[in-house]
Amino acid sequence: MLRAAIVGCGKIADQHMLAIQRIPNCKIVSLCDQELLMARQLGERSGVSECFSDLAVMLKSVSPDIVHITTPPQSHFSLAQQCLESGSHVYLEKPFTVTAREAEALIQLAETRNLKMTAGHNLQFTLEMLQMRRLVKEEFLGGRPVHVESHWTYDLGDTNYVGPMLGSRAHWVRQLPGQLFHNIISHGIAKLSEFLDDDITEIQASAHQSPRLQALGGEEVLDELRVHMRDKAGTTAYFCFSTQIKPGLNHLLICGPRNSIIVDHSCGAVVRNRDRGFKSYLTFFVPPLLGAWEHLGNARHNFANFLGRKLYQDSGMTELINCFYNSIQTEGPPPIPYREIILTARIMDEIFAQIYGDRKASGQLERIQG
Amino acid sequence: MNAEHQSLQAERILVTGSNGFIGTKVVETLLANGFMKLRCFVRPSSQIGRLEDVLRRYPAGGDVELVSGDLLSRDDCARAAKGVSIVYHLAAGSDKSFAGAFMNSALATRNLVEAFLEQGRPRRFVNVSSFAVYSNLHMKRGASLDENCPLEDAPQERYDAYGFGKLKQEEVVREYGKTSGLPYVILRPGTVFGPGKKNLSGRVGIDTFGFFMLMGGSNPLPLTYVDNCAEAIVLAGLEKGVEGETFNVVDDDLLTGRQFLSAYKKHVNRFFSVWIPYPLAYGLCVLWEKYATWSKGQLPPVFNRRRCAAEWKENRFPNVKIRQRLGWEPRVNINDAMTSFLSQFESGSK
Repeated sequence: MLRAAIVGCGKIADQHMLAIQRIPNCKIVSLCDQELLMARQLGERSGVSECFSDLAVMLKSVSPDIVHITTPPQSHFSLAQQCLESGSHVYLEKPFTVTAREAEALIQLAETRNLKMTAGHNLQFTLEMLQMRRLVKEEFLGGRPVHVESHWTYDLGDTNYVGPMLGSRAHWVRQLPGQLFHNIISHGIAKLSEFLDDDITEIQASAHQSPRLQALGGEEVLDELRVHMRDKAGTTAYFCFSTQIKPGLNHLLICGPRNSIIVDHSCGAVVRNRDRGFKSYLTFFVPPLLGAWEHLGNARHNFANFLGRKLYQDSGMTELINCFYNSIQTEGPPPIPYREIILTARIMDEIFAQIYGDRKASGQLERIQG
Repeated sequence: MNAEHQSLQAERILVTGSNGFIGTKVVETLLANGFMKLRCFVRPSSQIGRLEDVLRRYPAGGDVELVSGDLLSRDDCARAAKGVSIVYHLAAGSDKSFAGAFMNSALATRNLVEAFLEQGRPRRFVNVSSFAVYSNLHMKRGASLDENCPLEDAPQERYDAYGFGKLKQEEVVREYGKTSGLPYVILRPGTVFGPGKKNLSGRVGIDTFGFFMLMGGSNPLPLTYVDNCAEAIVLAGLEKGVEGETFNVVDDDLLTGRQFLSAYKKHVNRFFSVWIPYPLAYGLCVLWEKYATWSKGQLPPVFNRRRCAAEWKENRFPNVKIRQRLGWEPRVNINDAMTSFLSQFESGSK
């Protein structure tokens, strides 16, 4: 039985709580928040009585096997370090750390102590992403990806989040090097990191403020981002983050030398595009029909998943936590390779350096060591 | 408002949530009754056009102090509460998550209460709560729901983050009343309606499935017109001898869900609706709740027995206590209130 603890009892902690409760052979033994009332309110709703406001006290008195850290990113490094040093495995919410340097240091510490870590890139483990990974493994693409694209949109209509952030320069999101982007884009970047090698030879980012955000009074906050990348092996990548695109576009396109795959998070679909030639006017009739068949298959697949009770919200988080816990119990590899976590952090560092100009952008990432 | 109330006109008064639907009316009521030393607390991100409109209408509006801040910041609370003797606490968390609702209701209130006790000259703390804190699951249909009715003991099962936040907020206020002598009054308004709020209350029905379902229909709605509600809130801050009391705020001659929907359709727009009798609504909610449990939350338990009872069960809502103890009576009758509410939908209306 794995004993888990949650540090930071805000909104996202509820999702962790639900996800952990779905996994057999584990239980939540304690909660911690610097505001004790926040820990207690979650404890009251989830039947956890051990609530703390001091992490050191919690680690000493409960010694959890795993700690889920769901606090603002600025505190990730020090809290995770504390947990690792006391012998707990760590699930660290996204963004993993504020900088890549911190990410590398934490992972190194975990490896030194024979402990495991993972990042809260739960959308890498949704049902459609798992299906995509099966296709890639079966060589559906026909080789190494030639090009990958990740589109990630965010609805500014949710003023519960945006309002306080825009209203105060002191808000923790505004204090991040990448501001709004920093807290949101890691999901989209992590998808690209999976298919890029560590040696990124080219990266060009541009960003601007949308008229909508301007109207909401965002001042210097940027909310439209476009990034082009290329790795040493020649795979190119494009990332688009937008608050304006409607309907919401949350998808991943992976183009191989033979076939391509589109993963659409908005409707939980995986669309396979095969390289097939059709003669004459059949080009205009058959491929759309095949596309319709593909979408019908997705609807059928999702319906089957619904009947099988697999299509719940945050299925990605449950799957990721499950894989993480399994990797601890079986001493297997972590569900998200450390290489990908670090690469995601390094790409984000470079993007923020370029768009916020706090240092001269190199346009090229240093090779990741180790 | 009597002479005793008027004698408090020189007191420094803080209104939180002052730019909200009810908050602006509270500010207006205070200004209209000669209260001049007002401090309005607004979030930095708030669009305060509605409040500014009110302030422009009164000569004393120019003297109203606007304090921008976040109730989750103790420093902001201290600034807001400095020298204040009466607090009208209307700020509410609209966050849909339980943690967010708790944070913006209970934690924010804790910060404000502590600042009030330290920085203010505590005379009265009016905590504006909600009918959402009640549980009528075990009450009979037709029974009266008043201030003595049980509070919700399983807000998680009801899947009501807002109600959870309000319950915890009340607990904070009562706790400080007990331990620190906070002179509080709790008001629980029913469904507040009026110009400025256009949506149909969930107590009438739901449109979750693409068409409108009138739920129950014969259930009286605990309506209170926004002007009436604001007056009740203001009185709760001024009336002597009611510390530690709780009052429900509902108007007289309440309409049923069916009557409200009928008037709405007649004056706003006609649309297709289906009537779901209460026993059927209850049965469907039971099924939904069971499926949510069986599927481990694949469908969240948004429809459940507790919610069904709270929103659509046929209960009566007396306002005897608030009339007797605060001397409040709804100045705008229900017909005029409905006319005013519906007039906002006429073409050319703001």
